[in-house]
Order: sequence, then structure tokens, then C-alpha cells
Amino acid sequence: MNLTRRQLLKNGLLLGSAVPLSLGAAWAAERGLADAPVHGPVRLYGADRSTTELGLGLRQQGWAPRYEGRLDPLALNALPAGALATGFTDEAGLVLLTSLLAGRGRILALGRHEAGRHQLLSHRGPVAAPLAVEAGSWQAALGREYARLALAGSTARHARQFTRAASEAVNARELSFLVRL
Amino acid sequence: MSTTQRILPKGVSEADFDAALARFREILGADSVLTESDQLAPYTKIMMAGDDADYIPSAALLPTTTEQVQGIVRTCNEYKVPIWTISTGKNLGYGSAAPGETGQVMLDMHRMNRILDVDAEVCTALLEPGVTYQQLYDYIKKHDLKLWLDPPAPSAIAGPVGNTLDRGVGYTPYGEHFMFQCGMEVVLANGEVVRTGMGGIENSSSWQVFKWGYGPYIDGLFTQSNFGIVTKMGLWLMPEPPAYRPFLIQYQDPEDIEEIVDVLRPLRIAQIIPNAVVIVHTLWDAGTHVVRKAYYDGSDSIPREAIERIKADEGIGEWNVYAALYGTPEQIEVNWKIVEQAFGASGKAKIMYGEEAEKRGGGFEYRSALMKGDMNLQEFGLYNWRGGGGSMWFAPVSQAKGSETRDQTELAQQILGKYGFDYVAEYIVGWRDMHHVIDLLYNRQDPEETRRAHDCFAELIDEFAKRGYGLYRTNTEFMEQVAGTFGEPLREVHRTLKNALDPNGILSPGKSGIRQ
Repeated sequence: MNLTRRQLLKNGLLLGSAVPLSLGAAWAAERGLADAPVHGPVRLYGADRSTTELGLGLRQQGWAPRYEGRLDPLALNALPAGALATGFTDEAGLVLLTSLLAGRGRILALGRHEAGRHQLLSHRGPVAAPLAVEAGSWQAALGREYARLALAGSTARHARQFTRAASEAVNARELSFLVRL
Repeated sequence: MSTTQRILPKGVSEADFDAALARFREILGADSVLTESDQLAPYTKIMMAGDDADYIPSAALLPTTTEQVQGIVRTCNEYKVPIWTISTGKNLGYGSAAPGETGQVMLDMHRMNRILDVDAEVCTALLEPGVTYQQLYDYIKKHDLKLWLDPPAPSAIAGPVGNTLDRGVGYTPYGEHFMFQCGMEVVLANGEVVRTGMGGIENSSSWQVFKWGYGPYIDGLFTQSNFGIVTKMGLWLMPEPPAYRPFLIQYQDPEDIEEIVDVLRPLRIAQIIPNAVVIVHTLWDAGTHVVRKAYYDGSDSIPREAIERIKADEGIGEWNVYAALYGTPEQIEVNWKIVEQAFGASGKAKIMYGEEAEKRGGGFEYRSALMKGDMNLQEFGLYNWRGGGGSMWFAPVSQAKGSETRDQTELAQQILGKYGFDYVAEYIVGWRDMHHVIDLLYNRQDPEETRRAHDCFAELIDEFAKRGYGLYRTNTEFMEQVAGTFGEPLREVHRTLKNALDPNGILSPGKSGIRQ
């Protein structure tokens, strides 16, 4: 699979340009985190500040995010059954990810975050909280929401759209996912 | 907005569907019958300009044996439950892994993934439908066999059986996949199993080497069709040649496409150039690794000025010809001289191979890999060109003549321009034929843009058909319309066959526009 990985890197499917070296520091500095995770590990993919913040939100809800770097959807095949994975990717990565999960895993939630709006699609019942920026970043709010959906018992499909605050900086379209192998 | 209403197959009561599901669980085991929304979500991802609500399955079944498939179709007949069959489910841009219509039960064959035989002497393989190109590639490498595959662009994750059954194409001399198929095992709608070609002869050693068997040849009936479920398929593998030379020829003017095809045709027919040659337009060549926004942010078609900047910045031609020579080093030298003479005559072409070609922009590296059957996923980069997850392949067929190109290119650009989309296209010269492959990329998150993409695709089908160009393959949203362009007599034959082979209409209703 080496060639495939190289190709993924070359065409940018393994998103991002900077590994969030500040990941641990950002999480450690955050007050109010649970002393020990109570829900177990979650694989965290992506390579920029959004990923760091998403991980922060997960930790705030008692999950133990394990940073795996940029998403290589093909590598998900190697994860054990039941493994939880979340993060950010691009259009090509999303196509690969959803395609590879057919008959192999569950899509718990998908998010599209672009100028003016967030669109969330949950297969674990209603999306409860708006991605408000008052209590930190929207990515951390997304992490908290994904943390909740990962534990939700419902399997109903639910779509919701939020208007983004005008004050939020928007660099590009970001696509988030929460899946279970 | 929540969706909690249970999705049922069309015309099937909840009680009957529950009874069918219980039977499926007896046949497959509970873990192989998927009914929950998050399990079915991967089967709902579509890239075509249809309504998401029209492509939601009611369940998915994951058989591992032919006997289980037989049990499934017998149950489907009893309860009139329609199933939609996929192999590895990678028909991206043609319907992906989604059903043909909401309520159908997915028959997902990806767990039937045994490589049953690879014969290195006669260069054949016998495979189940879930085998991926990567899996077969790894098998060949592991056993140190001197054989090549012919993957389509999604290579590693797609599979030879599904791609061949949808009459897909690749880029080596074995690029016309159905031409290199030999022998099938098929589960019919009544649950019976038939082996085609020589497969009906007990202990035959020629099932994978002699296509025709005895009597009417029927393998084609199970391609792009819904007349049966293929559970095994034979294919021919290409022996690794002693030498291989991929090359790139760039032309800079839009009008040059006519010359390219006319120079190429005799070389292809005479097999001087033996592989399926692609003639890639600027935007396709750039789109695999460049995003549109870097050059143009408008919502209309990308202007000529931006295309010229891409060509200059990326080292890409207006038309970029990717082809290869195969054989002994001596054969390649002789044929290379013929190629150089033919393409060099007008003085318009820049002919390159080796390091010179590698240094140019565009897709030489990944095209070189595909033309020798290696795995890569570079073309997935096209989905980032415009973004938004919309992609539909429009692929009319014509003769491989230069005179067939200019009108087609102009017509496509004019229709795409009318709706605000880019001409992201390539021509693939087969043997005597030519596929004009256009990726209609659009933002599926924008309902207005999605409607435009739908109308654009529909107009492309109609306008090309008026000029005598029919599609070789299409996505599930447009199968009915495309079937209509091939005329009522052919459709009536398809219907007659469907009624004879699948009287309850349980197998992939609507595939290729075929219903009872």
C-alpha cells in the first residue's frame, strides 16, 4: 500500500500542511478536563488547528483522542472493529471514507463547515447543541457534540444547519466526520 | 430535520419485509443483515445530481457464498423484495454504492472476495466479485508472478468483476475490460446457478481460456444488466513485457485535437501503440492536483485566460497524450521511431518520455503507473477541483476520427458553459472507437447548482444523441433517459429478456433502464 499512500499525499488527500505540535499543550492547558478519560480512545485525524480544537472538545466530554495525523481512509481498514474515528478531511477524502465504510462500518455523523453555515448530518438522533463560539471555538463545540453522539443510542437520521457567526474566520470548506469501524 | 419513518421496498408490506429480513438472517447470520441508519449511511452517498431521498436502501445483505446468494434470491422472489447488487461498491460518479431507487435492498458482494485461481502459464484468473485490484495485485506480487493488471483510475479500491460487468475501461493493452473476460458463474433470479462458456462441462480446464463455449454466447447479457448475479468471473491477465516505455505528447492549441486523433488512429489499429491512449484536456490534467479556486473563483465556466495561466504555471498542454510502448527493447526502439515520425510531422507536438516527461507538469507519474497496471488514487483529486461532492461522468462514444472531435468538444463546451460548468475532459482512444469522457463537477451542497447540473447532464445526453453519439455507461439518475436514446426495439428486447429471466422483477430494477 506504500504507493497508494504516496499518491494520497501527493494529491493532497492526506489533508493539511502542519502537524499540530501544540496539540498536547493545548489540551493540557485547558482547565476543567476530566482527570482520566471515562469513555475510551477515539482516533483523531487532520492536521491543523481545527483538529486540535475538535480533540479538545472530545476530551472535555471524557474521551481520549489519539492523534493519528492526516486521514488516510485506506488505513482505516486496519483498525479493529468497534474503533471510533473522527476528524477533518477534504472532498476526495470523504468520498473514499464513505465508500470504504459500506458494509464495514457506521457513519455516526458528518459535518460541512463553510462560509456562512455549518451543516450537520447525524445518524445518531438529533443534533442538540448549536456550534456556538461563545464558549470557545466551534470546533471544540463540534467535538463535544460528536462526543455525545458517539454515546447516543438512537439510530435516527437527523440533519441540521447552523448559521455561522460573522466574526468567525473562515479559511476554507472543512469536512468533519465521526465513524465507527 | 429528523427522518424516523421506516423505509420499505416498493410494494412490500412491513410484515412481509420483516419476514424477509428474518429469512435473510437465517441464511446469512444477523451480523450480515444491516438495517440501522448509521450502517446504511455509506450506501446513501451519491455524487450525481439526484435527490438524496431517492437513493436510500431499506437494508443491506452481505453474503459470503454462492449458496447464500441463491437463498437470498429465493427469499426475494417469495416476498417480492427488490435487491440492488454491488461488487465492491466503487462505481463512483455512476451511482456509487447506492441503490437504484429508495427501498431496494443492497446486495453487497464485497465479502465474496476469494481469488479462486491464478494460472501464470495461460495468464488467467478466476475471481469472486469482492476481490479488489489491490488484493489481486498483492497476490501477484506475493507469488512473484510476471503478470500485470489493468485497473481503472480508482484502482486499489475497485474490483475487476464489478468494473468489467459495468464495461469499464483501463489503460494498458488490456484496457477494454469485457474483451478480456472469460467465463462466468451466475445466480439467476430463480435461484439456479449457470456457468457460461466452457463452465458447464464438468472438470473442464478451458473455462478461463475459451470464451464461446457452445451455442449462443450469453456473457454479455450479464453486463450492464439485471438478468442475473455474477458470483465468479474469469479474466485474462497481461504477461509482463520485457520492456515498457510510457510517453507524453503535448499540444498547445484547442484545434490540435483533430490532428492528434488522426495521427493516433492508424497507430492504434495497427497496434504500434497497443494501449488505450488518453488525450487529456488541461483542466483534467490540472484538476487531479490543483484546486480551481487557485486560478478562478467565479461560479461560471472557468475562462480561457485562466486556462492559459494553468497551462503556463503547471507545464500542461491544451491536450496531453499519455500512451506507452510494450515489448522487447528492440521492438520499442523500432516503434518509437514510428511514433516520433508520425507525431513529429506537423511540428506542433512536443514528444517526451523518461526524465523529460517526468519533469513536465500534469499527470505523467500516475498515468505511467496506470498504463502498467499499478495502483494509485491520484484521480480522486478531481473531487477537490470545484468541491461540494458533485461528480457525473458523461461519456459518449464515437469513431476514432479527428473529424469527430471538434464538433463534440465545441458542443460539450457550449452546453457546459451555458450552465456554468467547466470542461474537465479527456478522450480515450480504444481500438477503433473513442470515448469522450467528461467529469461534470459541481457543488452538490448548493440545490440551485445541483439542479443546473441535472439539467446540463440531461441536455448533454439529448444533444449528443441527436448528433449520433450515445453513452457507453451512465449513472443511475439518467439510466432511463440514456436507454431511451438507443431506441424502443432494443428496449423491448431487454424487457422480454427481463420478463423471461426475472418474472418478479427482483434483480436491480431500473439498471440500464431495464424493468418489467
